[in-house]
Amino acid sequence: MINNLTVSDSPHIHKQASISRIMWTVVISLIPAGIAGVIIFGWDALWVTLTTVVAAVLTELILGIWTKKKITILDGSAVITGILLAFNLPSGVPLWLPMVGAVFSIAIGKQVFGGLGQNIFNPALVGRVFLMASWPKYMTTFTQPFSYDAITSATPLAMLKAGKIMEHISYLDLFLGKHAGCIGEVCILALLIGAALLLIKGYISWHIPATYIFTTAVCTYIFGAAQLFRGDWLFHILSGGLILGAFFMATDYVATPLTAKGQLIFGMGCGLLTAVIRIWGGYPEGVAYAILMMNGATPFIDRYTKCRIYGSR
Amino acid sequence: MKDLIKEFAKGIIKENPTFVLALGLCPTLAVSVSVANAMGMGIAATFVLLGSSLIISLIRDFIPDKIRIPCYIVIIATFVTITELCMKAYSPALDRSLGIYVPLIVVNCIVLGRAEAFACKNNLARSFFDGLGMGLGFTLALILISAIREFLGSGQILGHTLVKGFEPVFVFGMPSGALLVIGLLLGLFNLLKDKRV
Amino acid sequence: MNIQEFLTIFISAVFVYNVILSRFLGLCSFIAISKETKPALAMSSAVMFVIVMSSMITWFVYRFLLLPFNLGYLRTISFILVIATFVQLVEMIIRKLSPQLYRTFGIYLPLITVNCAVLGVAVLNIDMFFINGKAVAGSFYYSVFQGLCVGLGYTLAMLLMSGIRERLELCNVPQVFKDFPLAFVIASILGLSFMGFSGFKF
Repeated sequence: MINNLTVSDSPHIHKQASISRIMWTVVISLIPAGIAGVIIFGWDALWVTLTTVVAAVLTELILGIWTKKKITILDGSAVITGILLAFNLPSGVPLWLPMVGAVFSIAIGKQVFGGLGQNIFNPALVGRVFLMASWPKYMTTFTQPFSYDAITSATPLAMLKAGKIMEHISYLDLFLGKHAGCIGEVCILALLIGAALLLIKGYISWHIPATYIFTTAVCTYIFGAAQLFRGDWLFHILSGGLILGAFFMATDYVATPLTAKGQLIFGMGCGLLTAVIRIWGGYPEGVAYAILMMNGATPFIDRYTKCRIYGSR
Repeated sequence: MKDLIKEFAKGIIKENPTFVLALGLCPTLAVSVSVANAMGMGIAATFVLLGSSLIISLIRDFIPDKIRIPCYIVIIATFVTITELCMKAYSPALDRSLGIYVPLIVVNCIVLGRAEAFACKNNLARSFFDGLGMGLGFTLALILISAIREFLGSGQILGHTLVKGFEPVFVFGMPSGALLVIGLLLGLFNLLKDKRV
Repeated sequence: MNIQEFLTIFISAVFVYNVILSRFLGLCSFIAISKETKPALAMSSAVMFVIVMSSMITWFVYRFLLLPFNLGYLRTISFILVIATFVQLVEMIIRKLSPQLYRTFGIYLPLITVNCAVLGVAVLNIDMFFINGKAVAGSFYYSVFQGLCVGLGYTLAMLLMSGIRERLELCNVPQVFKDFPLAFVIASILGLSFMGFSGFKF
């Protein structure tokens, strides 16, 4: 009798998902936003993105060789950091800026902690706040969309912060990305397509993005205008880096809580901090800072939302 | 004499208060924004360290053990007040840029630490050279950190532009930049220490 | 005395000019004790208590003892004596009232005397809320509240740091960065993220 019983170790049901596969799928999900960025901001966007990615990969490669550790560039995480950092930059930055940023993101944001899986903070965001603090002028000079002559313009959030009411920008414009902003953050449509791919495949869960966006909406609705309960929450959701941050950076596996309850807290915290900075802070946009602060609080959140171990009290 | 030179030299490298003993970090990071500030603070701190080490060493046999810490603090505070007043009188600009970190020399771990660990147990000559060495080591560490920060953060050192067309990296003039510089420097010194072993 | 001033003090003392991450006061104890959460919490609560109380006492000493007799230059000496005495007093009281609590604090209690944060806040209060030798309206309440907020900022930084470092204990950090260097890098990134609150206006 042919023995149809195979004896093996667990896992017995295998989903084919490995770190590399997940990472490269995320890269694919970011492509629509990248294409949109190039359409809206021109070839500059492409050069910035390519420079950042190459710099990130090279940094990880060189550090890996120098410290005689495993070469990890093929797992795709350096590529993701490069792309996400590029998406957080204006298209008009001089090319040395994303290079320095990428080196900082990988070297300080990731490798100093011991590499992938051990970073406390999202590396791309670490790079972004470093660049923001170091060269604020370059990081806040945005070009007008579809103007290949590099005419500068202000982002919708910056105009809101300065008190100028946006009359000629519609919600559709915001949704399609027809305004000044960072390369990957403006086209909400493209970002949502990518996010849908990740949600369908189950690589990210709805908890963090949903709570993040919802909390920001609620806070900006209540406090976002001179009178209570008159805030333009739809404007806030569609502007700035919120969609990019909520779906692609606040969902970083390593730097965010493990349990569902923890993730809900994380999302709410991000939303609250983002809204507070946008409404009362000096900067027009607070997504990067909010996520980083919550990254810092994640070890704490994890500690207090641990699952009850079976059998213990 | 050779003994005394050894006491002096150890404060500079082997037992450098900033990089090896990790003492007195509060003012180190705060004033290292410019080399001028660093030198000013270094000199002030060395003066306080020398003065207090000498006095404490002189009267070490007369201080009752139970209240020795408050006694040290009073002695150190006196020297700090002298320093404060002199600075306010002779270089008010330096006093303004150093701000609250001048009175804070009182609680600078280096000063109190050396008093507790050395001056109360050693004679006048050794305490003098120990204080001098530690003060110099502290000043050199300050100058190193501030040179890096001032150059990267503003493209200048002591007000002179070194490299034309250099885009200053503003973050190094900020507190976060200071923490970053010292973190990386400590890592670098660890690397050098490992390599030597 | 308005609520806006209080809110501004809160945001700047806890976040933008966080006592540890931005003013570097209390850095020695921060790096040394933030390795585990329990000691970090113990140290933070002790420090917060001492800061609030000494803010009060030093305010009174400055306002009613030093200023009237034109002894402003004795500020440093008198403040540090006040703080040292107060910490000694607290130590004796805790030892009598709760030997267990005394044991928990261990060496941290006497260390608070030389914690830059305590003397730093006392001096800061004077610099900020006394103009030309006269107390600003509501100066006492601002000073005490600032002391409280500085304590909160200290606690926040300590707790975040201890959580992070406890987590990193389980990781394979590169040898050269173990302990102190990495702690400084983490503090640097935390400081950068707190900068998000700069320019706060109510």
